[in-house]
Amino acid sequence: MFGLFGKKYSNPALLEELRTRQDRWFVFLDKLETRMDELTTAAVPELHTVYQQDDDPYKRSHGQMLMGLIGQVNHMREKANEVREDNIVSFLYGAEATVPVITSEAGRDYHNRILAFRMACINRYYIFDEKVNEAIVLLKGTEGQQDLEGAYREQLAAFERIRDKFSCKQCGGNITIPKMFFIDTYVTCSFCHSQNTFKPSTAARMVMHNARALAEQRTAQLLRAYEESNPQDRSLYAIYLRAMFNEWNSIVPDMAVENEKFYQRLLEEHTINHFK
Amino acid sequence: MAEEKNKRMLSYLEQLKLKATQQPHYGGDITNEEAQMDIRDCPECGAARAYHKGLTACAYCGFVFMETKLTDGIHIKKENNS
Amino acid sequence: MSENPLLAPIHGITLEDYSAACARMGSGLSEEEVAKALGVELPVWQEANLLWPERMKQDATFHIVTLFGQYFGQADQHPKFSVVKAAPPSAEGNANTEKIKADKDYYQELEVARQVAYDYGVDGAQWILDKYGITIGDFQIAASRWNDQIHRDIQADYAGYNARQAAYKAKYQQLFAAAQGGNVADDIEF
Repeated sequence: MFGLFGKKYSNPALLEELRTRQDRWFVFLDKLETRMDELTTAAVPELHTVYQQDDDPYKRSHGQMLMGLIGQVNHMREKANEVREDNIVSFLYGAEATVPVITSEAGRDYHNRILAFRMACINRYYIFDEKVNEAIVLLKGTEGQQDLEGAYREQLAAFERIRDKFSCKQCGGNITIPKMFFIDTYVTCSFCHSQNTFKPSTAARMVMHNARALAEQRTAQLLRAYEESNPQDRSLYAIYLRAMFNEWNSIVPDMAVENEKFYQRLLEEHTINHFK
Repeated sequence: MAEEKNKRMLSYLEQLKLKATQQPHYGGDITNEEAQMDIRDCPECGAARAYHKGLTACAYCGFVFMETKLTDGIHIKKENNS
Repeated sequence: MSENPLLAPIHGITLEDYSAACARMGSGLSEEEVAKALGVELPVWQEANLLWPERMKQDATFHIVTLFGQYFGQADQHPKFSVVKAAPPSAEGNANTEKIKADKDYYQELEVARQVAYDYGVDGAQWILDKYGITIGDFQIAASRWNDQIHRDIQADYAGYNARQAAYKAKYQQLFAAAQGGNVADDIEF
C-alpha cells in the first residue's frame, strides 16, 4: 500500500509562483487605484471651475475635459484587463494543465490552491472595477445640475422687457410680439399688415432646446417615486409621464400638439413593455 | 519621488484643461444674438408683403418669394400660401 | 408607403430634402444657405426643422428615421443641393472626403481615430476636419453608406473585425498619448 503512493506529487515552485503572482497582482491594482484616486482628487475641483467658467451653452469645454479624464480612467481599466488576461487567466490554464487530475488526492489539493488563487485574483479585480466605476461617477458629478429654472425665468422676464420694443420695418408702427417665440416667426404689423420676421435671441431659442430637461427637473420626484416603488407600480409611471408632459407643454405651448403625439407613443410603449 | 509624480499629474491636468478650454469647438463658438426684427420686401416692385395676400408671392407683381407649398405647421398654415 | 401621413412634406419640404439639408449643414452649409437651396425663408425652414424630428419621435416603427438615414447618405445626389457646396477646406480635404466614401477601411480607421481623440480630451470632429479636411456631415454620409456592410462583416468574422478595431485603437491611443506626454498610469507595471 505504501509503495503505491510513495511518490507523492509535490510542486513547491508552483506554490511559490501562486503566492508571488497573487501579491504582484494585488500590488499592481493597488498602485492603479492610488493613481486613479490622485487623478480624481486633483481633477474634480478643476472640473468644477471649468464648468462654472464655460460660457458655451452646451458646456463643451467641460465636456471635452471630462471625456479626457474618463479616457484616462478607462485606460487604467484596459491596462488591468490586459494584465489579467496575460498574467492571470493564461497562467491559470497553464497551471491547471501541469498538476495531477482533480480526482487524485494531490491533484485535489493543488486544484484547490489554484482555485483559491483564481478566486482571490478575480475578486480583487472586481473591487478594482467597482472603483473605476466610482471614479467615473465622481468625475461626471461635476456636470452639476444646470439651473434651467433660473435661465427660463430670466428669459420670461427678458421677453416682457423687449416685447413692446419693436417697430414695423415697413411703416415704423409699434409691433407687440404676441407671445414668446423660440424660432424665427412671421409677425404682422397691425397698422400696415406687412409681414415682418421676428428673430428670437439665442438665449430664448435655448429655452425650447432645454424645455424637456427642465420639465424633467421639475418632475424628478415623481419619476423617483415610480423607480423606488417595490413592486414597481406602473400607475406611478403614468402619473410622472403626464406631469412631465404638462410641464413641457407649459414651457413651449406651441409644441403641445406635437408633444402629445410623442406622449401617446411613450405611454403605449411603456404599457406594452409591461405586458411582455 | 512622490513629489515628482505629483508634478506630472498636475502638469497633465493643466495641459488637459488648456486643451479643453482653448481648442476651437467643431462648428465654432455660439454667439449670443439679441432678438431682432426683419422684413423682406419684394425685390421686383418694392411692395411689402401684406398678411392677407399670403407669404409665397408678391400681391402686386407676382414675384415668387418662396417656391413651395406651405402646409399646416406650427405658426405657418396652409392659408399663408399666396 | 406614400400613403403614410408621416411622410407628407412639411411646407413643401420632403424627407429627402430635409435629410440632404441636414447632411449639408453638417458639412458646413449655413442655415440661410440651406433654406435658400430649398427655396424657402428661414421661418419656414425652422418649422420644418422642428417638425421632421417630431415625426421621427412619433413613429414607433422607426420607418421615418430609417429613411432619413438612407437619404442622408445620398445627400450628394440631391438635385437641390447639387450646385450649392460649402467651400471645401482644401484639395486634400476633397480627396479624403471622396476616399472615406469609397474606402471602407479608411472610414473605419478614422472613425476609431475620432473616438480616441475624444478619450484624450480632443474635439474629435474638429481634429478630423483639421487633419483630414473631412467635415462631420461627410463623415456621417460615409457612416450611413458603410454601416450595413460593416454589420455583415461583423457577422461573418467577429474576431477579425475586433482585431482590426483594436489595432486602430492602439495606433491612435499611442498617437494621442504621445501628444500629451503619456498616459497618467504609464509607469505602473505588473
